[in-house]
Amino acid sequence: MTDSELHPYVELIAREARRPVVTDPVARDRIMAAVRAASAPGHRFLFWRRAIEPRSFRLSPALGGLLAAGLVGIGVIAGGLSTNRDGRAMAGQSSVAAAGLPVSDTVVKFVFLAPQAATVSLVGDFNGWDASKVPMVRTPNSGLWTVTLPLTAGRHLYQFVVDGTWIPDPSAPIAGDDGFGHANSVKLVQKGSAL
Amino acid sequence: MDMSDDAADVQRVLAGDVDAYAALVDRYYDRCARFAIRMLGNRDDAEDALQATFLRAYKALNRYQERDRFSAWLYRILVNQCRSIAARRAHRERVFVREEALLLNAPDRTPNWTGEEEEFVQRVLSELDPLLREAFLLKYIEELSYEEMSALTGVGVSALKMRVKRACDRLRDRWERIKND
Repeated sequence: MTDSELHPYVELIAREARRPVVTDPVARDRIMAAVRAASAPGHRFLFWRRAIEPRSFRLSPALGGLLAAGLVGIGVIAGGLSTNRDGRAMAGQSSVAAAGLPVSDTVVKFVFLAPQAATVSLVGDFNGWDASKVPMVRTPNSGLWTVTLPLTAGRHLYQFVVDGTWIPDPSAPIAGDDGFGHANSVKLVQKGSAL
Repeated sequence: MDMSDDAADVQRVLAGDVDAYAALVDRYYDRCARFAIRMLGNRDDAEDALQATFLRAYKALNRYQERDRFSAWLYRILVNQCRSIAARRAHRERVFVREEALLLNAPDRTPNWTGEEEEFVQRVLSELDPLLREAFLLKYIEELSYEEMSALTGVGVSALKMRVKRACDRLRDRWERIKND
């Protein structure tokens, strides 16, 4: 239907509704005040603020065992307790540090099948939805991409970024539209669970 | 609007210049306000939707991808915020209290825009089912193509065409009722 086909009454309503509205002149100031009070987009700067703040945390025996096995590079956050043994673990370790991930005694392994992909990364509420922070590593000859992360217990939302395209995890529950047109996957992490 | 203006402002914000976000707010506030007020029917709810929209967009700005138009991305957030607020207040009584003094002569008169006319338009729009109202506003007030509407709402083009047609039918029926009373 085109405008020329509109009933005169419908056209009147549309024309009147197109008129600009009168808005509260200070409403924009209120928005900017809320913006200034909010954390920066994606917590890019929060990481650095957190990185220099003194804080305490504990590592469980289970995580200690994983660290000893070189599976998780959380020692980087603790100040250089690097125990990695191979290149893949090093990649995971640098991801954890760069992502500013919360210190946790729970580790989670994410796996995604994408044989044709050139790059796959993990984005979620735990890394500020930044596709550059947690690259996944391709397992040779399988098409599987994996990364292992420490996560706090609770409900986490995430997606995979496959060659720049955001894709929910087909093997996980979906949280529905997040308000930005994305359907995120859900990972429930229980305290003490591993991989 | 030159898309490069938006992209440049977004980059400045992501580089830490919070004040650059004010330029984006200024650029899109009025248009977003019009949609929110027409969609929600009152200024308090509309202002809540606008504040939530611009704040959520700011927090998620690193998820905005430049291949999309910033305005379309922002509008997607706004539409979702309006839907959420409309759902939350669904149980509340409508806020329109005045009768429509202008109704009988509506198609023939040349409106002299006052508060009464605005209330009249809001009242007419409020009588549409929210999904029909949303589609009608996006098509004839924001003047988007059906493809743009589909990208923005996640609803298929044919379904959107049907919603717009039904909205127009409802308005036409309304006019017939008025004329015959």
